[in-house]
Amino acid sequence: MAPLIELRDIKKSYQGDGVNTLALGGVSFSINKGEFVSIMGPSGSGKSTLLHILGLLDKPSEGKYFFDGHDTTKFDEPFAAHFRNEQIGFIFQAFHLLARSTVMENVLLPLQYSSIPKNQHEKRALTVLEKVNMLHRLKHRPSQLSGGEKQRVAIARSLVNNPKVLMADEPTGNLDSQSGKNVMETLDALHEQGHTILVITHETPAARYAQRIIRVQDGVIVADQDSEGVHGHNGYEK
Amino acid sequence: MDLLTITKTAFHSLRTNLARSLLTILGIVIGVMAIVLVVALGQGAQGLILDQVKGVGANTIILRPGRQPTGPDSAAETILSDSIKQREIDALNNPINVPDIESVDPAVLVTGPVQYQENTYRPMILGWTADALVQMFQISPSEGTLFSDDDILQRSKVAIIGSKVREKLFGSSDALGEYIKIRGQNIRILGILPSRGQVSAFNIDDMVLLPHSTAQKDILGINYFNEIFIRAKDGADVDLVASDIKATLRDLHNITDPEKDDFFAMTQKDIVDRLSTITQALTIFLAMIASISLVVGGIGIMNIMLVSVTERTREIGLRKALGATNRDILRQFLLEAVILTVSGGATGTILGISLAFITSVVLKAQFNLAWPFQLPLSAIILGVGMAGVVGLGFGLYPARKAAQKDPIEALRYE
Repeated sequence: MAPLIELRDIKKSYQGDGVNTLALGGVSFSINKGEFVSIMGPSGSGKSTLLHILGLLDKPSEGKYFFDGHDTTKFDEPFAAHFRNEQIGFIFQAFHLLARSTVMENVLLPLQYSSIPKNQHEKRALTVLEKVNMLHRLKHRPSQLSGGEKQRVAIARSLVNNPKVLMADEPTGNLDSQSGKNVMETLDALHEQGHTILVITHETPAARYAQRIIRVQDGVIVADQDSEGVHGHNGYEK
Repeated sequence: MDLLTITKTAFHSLRTNLARSLLTILGIVIGVMAIVLVVALGQGAQGLILDQVKGVGANTIILRPGRQPTGPDSAAETILSDSIKQREIDALNNPINVPDIESVDPAVLVTGPVQYQENTYRPMILGWTADALVQMFQISPSEGTLFSDDDILQRSKVAIIGSKVREKLFGSSDALGEYIKIRGQNIRILGILPSRGQVSAFNIDDMVLLPHSTAQKDILGINYFNEIFIRAKDGADVDLVASDIKATLRDLHNITDPEKDDFFAMTQKDIVDRLSTITQALTIFLAMIASISLVVGGIGIMNIMLVSVTERTREIGLRKALGATNRDILRQFLLEAVILTVSGGATGTILGISLAFITSVVLKAQFNLAWPFQLPLSAIILGVGMAGVVGLGFGLYPARKAAQKDPIEALRYE
């Protein structure tokens, strides 16, 4: 079976003030459908750049990136946007919920740009909100929610288009340890339901929920290994 | 993203900053209101003028000495020209020359004050025929009588005065049979006209009318006329009559090149056309000045939209991450600008029409003018259309800035 994500010698460099900075120096790996992968690395290691390329928010300077068999480096801007909308769900460290919109409106946001018929929008939003236990907060605005609840709404939003992969960028970075644990357990539960999940983090407890941890340093992969221990015993201390 | 969703999103964003949105459109409201008001009042003024011109009757041809004025300089030439005298009147009265003429009524304009005892007043003093007055304005004295053709032949020193002249000179005392003084000549009041207000170029209430022969010979001491009112017979082709008049006078004055005419004849249609052109040009000119405020309003819109784009940088980044294309973002911000300006345009249109209506009512009441209120359809289309164009024009730059934002940078924006 072909991998869902396949990176082949991805390089990314930035040109600024006459200086060429190499953010990724040849990264190759694959992720299969249904995997839960953490990408770890210290600040400035290139993990965020890697996530931007994986999420089609940026293009590599060199190399090939195949998503479900499609060569994404050939995508133009509108096609990449549609593809991102349908295939990738994002979860951000800062939640990025629209402050003036309700929980329901925030979850409906990705559907505005999808080809899913309008009469299914509400039903879909309610289904994913139920998955993250947020049905009781439909009319609330983000300012009325706790950090953990905000991130659960963001997870619901990432799921609403039924993407092939969820990509989370430091999903626990703005949360206390209990909320962080709850969020990772939500992602773990989604993985159990068959979702492919990719988490970028520098927190070991969060990373250890994954089956596999890819370590990045100075723009290259320094380790790609199975997560230690058994699910339930790793992650946050109970 | 379909248009309905974009529209809903745009309205949602505008509602979020309602006070700011309302203040932003104020410039557009004022601009469109000014345009609609100017155009509506221009149309009203045009309607009023044309109604008054039509008041002199479609059969009337006005003949003036000198060349047709093209500006203020040549207008003086018309007043001073002496090319139309009794000889020309006689020629026009000859049915061989102009068969379809009903009447030829020469007029002489006298400038100066009118005195009665200690009172002095400056009305319009016209040496004319009484017949012309009756025929053109369907009016007869409410007190006394008109002067007769004999009075014209005998150069009687008599006059008919308008109601305002009577009030200014005589107050509540009797005016009939009294003598007024014009340029040292004693003129007896023969009749007083009822109040009629402005008709065509004449304010009937503010007129002193005396036999043209008296005005010409005894008061001014001249042998020419300033204006001739010619009426064509009912059913006659007015343009043909005007053409016969011109031919007769050219023949009389040995003119072969119409460019060198020392007179000009205007039918009612000519006057209407000329006045329409003038009022339309004036309206367009004023509307253009008013539209400057629209441009100022547009700059305000652009300014606020640029602020909005900066404020919502993270939202733009998020929308792009969730699948919005550059085009989706461009359309969203552009539509917000257009909604702002068009709602401003609609408000301005309603205010402009309301003000124009109130103005027409006030003018009617205060100045006794038959000022017609006309719903300015062209102004409505122009106002709302221009507001939309301003929205598109001034909204494009901020919308493009929003659309071109890099999603990664936008999501990081603090």
